[in-house]
Amino acid sequence: MPVAREIIEPKNEKLNVSRNFNLPHSPGIRAGDLIFLSGMLSTDPHTGERSPGTMAHETRQTLTNMRHLLESAGSSLERVVKLNVLLYDMLEFENMNAVFKQFFPVDPPARTVCGVQLSAGMKIEIECIALAG
Amino acid sequence: MLPPRPGLDMAAGYGWVQSTAIRAGELVFVSGVVAIDAESGERLNGTLTSEAHRAFRNLRLVLEAAGSSLERLVQVRAMIYDRIEYDALNRVYRQYVPQGPPARTVWSVRIIDAFKVQLDAVALA
Repeated sequence: MPVAREIIEPKNEKLNVSRNFNLPHSPGIRAGDLIFLSGMLSTDPHTGERSPGTMAHETRQTLTNMRHLLESAGSSLERVVKLNVLLYDMLEFENMNAVFKQFFPVDPPARTVCGVQLSAGMKIEIECIALAG
Repeated sequence: MLPPRPGLDMAAGYGWVQSTAIRAGELVFVSGVVAIDAESGERLNGTLTSEAHRAFRNLRLVLEAAGSSLERLVQVRAMIYDRIEYDALNRVYRQYVPQGPPARTVWSVRIIDAFKVQLDAVALA
C-alpha cells in the first residue's frame, strides 16, 4: 500500500499564492507523516498581494501565513521539524532571528539560513518540513 | 540507490562524495541533479531551458529506478543561477509536473561547474 500523497492548501484562498499567481507548484504536499511546504513570501492575507516591508515585518507575516497553512492541514508551527530561510542579505540575520524567537520560544526546529537572490524585491522566503497533525 | 545509468554516477565520474539517491522509509532523497549526459556523464551546459529539460529527464531516471516517479515528487528545491530566468524555468517545469505539482522553492544560487539549473528533490517511493 503506497503512502498517500496529498496536496495541502490554505483555508484562506488569498494565501494560495501558487494558484493566484499561476505558478507550477503546490502550497504544500503531505507525504505520509510529513508535510513539505513550498517557499513562502510575505503575503497580505486580506488582499493576496505581496506585502513587502522591513525584515521584521516580512518575517512576521510569512511565519503567520505559514502557521495558517500548517493549521489548515491539521499541523502547527510547534510541529515544524526543519526550516530553510532565504534572505536577500545576510546583514539582516539578526532582524530575522529576533522575530523567530517570538514564534519559536522553546525547542525550535532545525534551521538553515542562506543569503540568495529573491523575487520581486522581497527580503525573506521560508520553506519548511513539519510533522502532520 | 544505485545510479540508473552510468553517466549519472557522479561519485565515479566526478569524484563527488555522494550517493545518487537514498531511500529512507517511504521517502527518496535525491542528490542535486544537473544537465549531464546520462550515458557518458559529459556535462551538457547550455541555456537554462535546455539544462532544465535534461535535469528533469535525469531526475525521472533516478526516481523511476527507485520505484518512484515525477508524479510522486513531494518537494523540490529548484536552483537557478540567476533570478532573471525564473519564468524560463517555470515554462519547462510545468511540462514535467502538469498535475498536482510538488511543493517547491526556487533558490537563486551559484551552481557547480557553471550549470544553470540543479534540482534537489524528495519523493515518495
